[in-house]
Amino acid sequence: MKYVCSICGYVHDEAEKGIPFQELPADWKCPWCGASKSDFAPQEEKEASAPIVTDASDLSETHELQKLSAGQLAALCSSLARGCEKQYKAEESRLFKELANYFTAITPAVEDATVMTIADALKEEIAFYPTLKATAEAAKDRGAQRVCVWGEKVTRMLYSLINQYLEKGDQMLEGKDVWLCTVCGFVYIGKDAPELCPVCKVPAWKFEKISGRN
Amino acid sequence: MSNKKIAVRNLRLCTKDCLCLYVCPTGATDTENSIIDPEKCIGCGECALACPSAAISLVPADYPEQQPKTNIVISALNDQAQRKSSTEKAASQIAALMADCGLGYLLEAMARSERLVTEDIMREAGYMLPQSSNVRQLLEELVANPPTPSFPIETAKKLLKLLP
Ligand code: SF4
Ligand code: SF4
Ligand SMILES: [Zn+2]
Repeated sequence: MKYVCSICGYVHDEAEKGIPFQELPADWKCPWCGASKSDFAPQEEKEASAPIVTDASDLSETHELQKLSAGQLAALCSSLARGCEKQYKAEESRLFKELANYFTAITPAVEDATVMTIADALKEEIAFYPTLKATAEAAKDRGAQRVCVWGEKVTRMLYSLINQYLEKGDQMLEGKDVWLCTVCGFVYIGKDAPELCPVCKVPAWKFEKISGRN
Repeated sequence: MSNKKIAVRNLRLCTKDCLCLYVCPTGATDTENSIIDPEKCIGCGECALACPSAAISLVPADYPEQQPKTNIVISALNDQAQRKSSTEKAASQIAALMADCGLGYLLEAMARSERLVTEDIMREAGYMLPQSSNVRQLLEELVANPPTPSFPIETAKKLLKLLP
């Protein structure tokens, strides 16, 4: 039997490795991306087809199309700042960054947020991805399908890491650094950044060591 | 929308004062601030071919509008973006209260990760290009109805002036 990592696609082939997946130690981690055993699934398992969104009542909140929240606007503006930078429009990029900072600052605090509630929130995000993918597929929207591919993997990794933290506490991070892929958002815990991002395949120098706010 | 291209120079790669200055038929590459003059550039591409540092590329003078999106896909994307931006906020607000420590870094990385993914979602939700009509409309609305009194209205106005 083969077991596949839902984040990076690493395959544990029991026949080849000579170790049944179930017998791997409980704290065994994916050798490529550092995901937990629970992030693996048997290869046969076909994804059940997800429901698609057909009207706004299927969504968690109704979103008036033109009414975006401060948090959404913050990401929208920082994304446009990036877009301007790529077009060598330095002044426009700086201005969009100013707007992004404003919206980040006015985003209301999340009440009673804890590490535990973040884990729950990530779980909900993961649960919505199949519906988002199916909705994009039904509309033949390739761009929207594309953002699901990296986005879902990156979100699964965050969920895996937060659960590893809830289980192990600070021990999980001892002697290691936190690395962020600045292209896709993949987060990695280790002494060094991975040679290639297991999700988007950019080289190690695209990773940033997160070692303090300044 | 036309097929007109113009040359742009990546200043991080440019070693200054060399071949593009000789080959450019209009003198567009010869500017004090090193930014190729879009008024003079005719998009012939000679400079990009001549540059020894591969510092010049030709980009479309104007971009086509993003492919039309269905409202239902936009709503679904916005729905996920909202979840993510609130997770980002939760992670960064807890990280801000913590001293420099492993968990603080992990949460900070998570907040930044969520932002990157949300940016990608917002691009697909209709805001891919800074110079699109969607962005213009959004900026105009913000100027007309600032969300709070501290909204940097001049910043938005400057953008409206700078974007074509
Ligand atoms: S594309 Fe042609 S006109 Fe434009 S800067 Fe280069 S050489 Fe000059
Ligand atoms: S040829 Fe290339 S490196 Fe030389 S000045 Fe022009 S852009 Fe810069
Ligand atoms: Zn990556």
